[in-house]
Amino acid sequence: MDNKRKIPDLQQEKLKKQPFSVPDGYFESFSDRLQARIREEQHSTPPVPRIRTFTRARVAMAAAILGVALISYSVLRFTVFNNGSPDSADMALIDEFHLMEDDFYLVDYLEPAEEMDDEDAFATQAMDYLAINDVEMILLLE
Amino acid sequence: MPEWDDSQILEAVRTPGKEEVAFNQLVANYQERLYWHIRKILIEHEDTDDVLQNTFIKVWRSLAEFRGDSELYTWLYRIATNEALTYLKKKKKQSFAPWVEVEHKMSEVLESDPWFNGDEIQLKLQQAILKLPEKQRIVFNMRYFDEIKYEKMASILNTSVGALKASYHHAVKKIEAMLADD
Repeated sequence: MDNKRKIPDLQQEKLKKQPFSVPDGYFESFSDRLQARIREEQHSTPPVPRIRTFTRARVAMAAAILGVALISYSVLRFTVFNNGSPDSADMALIDEFHLMEDDFYLVDYLEPAEEMDDEDAFATQAMDYLAINDVEMILLLE
Repeated sequence: MPEWDDSQILEAVRTPGKEEVAFNQLVANYQERLYWHIRKILIEHEDTDDVLQNTFIKVWRSLAEFRGDSELYTWLYRIATNEALTYLKKKKKQSFAPWVEVEHKMSEVLESDPWFNGDEIQLKLQQAILKLPEKQRIVFNMRYFDEIKYEKMASILNTSVGALKASYHHAVKKIEAMLADD
């Protein structure tokens, strides 16, 4: 018994024939339908105007100005427009003296001193004077 | 309308005021060839009609920029092939199904399609072709049905002649095996 599969001859004329068909008059009317679709697309979709480079520059400039305005407003809000709380005073001082983050200890130094009696106040001022004039404390204590 | 050849069409395209006449002539010359090329990829007439229109609309939009680096024929076939493959890709996405199922649906459509006039063996051949990977299917159709030379096919599909010959050879073996099993 021949168990070999029968391999079809793909070169037979019947197989090479086009098995598909089209509706009657399809090709005759195709061009008209195509033209109608092209016209419809041209009328319904207006060309999208491209943003010219010059206009883009203007938009960019406007965005930058807006950004600066927002930042300025934020700064002013925390300084000039605040109602005078200690925080705002410190912030104003920081701004005035251009203090960096590491210099915040100076804010403490600028805080109002505790109330002292006259003797203590004199001693404190004397120590400050001597420190500023670079007199060695040890000489005073001998 | 007396038929123009490709060089006459291209000359008219570059002549102000003659672009539309040139385009109409191009459509007249190529509509049937491109239709059957697309139809063999997409199987259904309605899908083919959509893609054929999309192809010519793309041609209309870019005809003025066609530099003539390749033959007009090659350029048109390339656009048609890409449009058909894009359409298939979209169909696959829309169906949310693996490619195998989309191809299976196309095979089923064949059996009940009023615009398919083939007999049993022709139906089996088309169903076997549908089981090939889509690019191999295109190569097989172009060589087997359209008898396009490998060199021309290489320009259209942007693939080497050697790769096309190998692809076609394997396609034939697969189809013969599928038809023999039936």
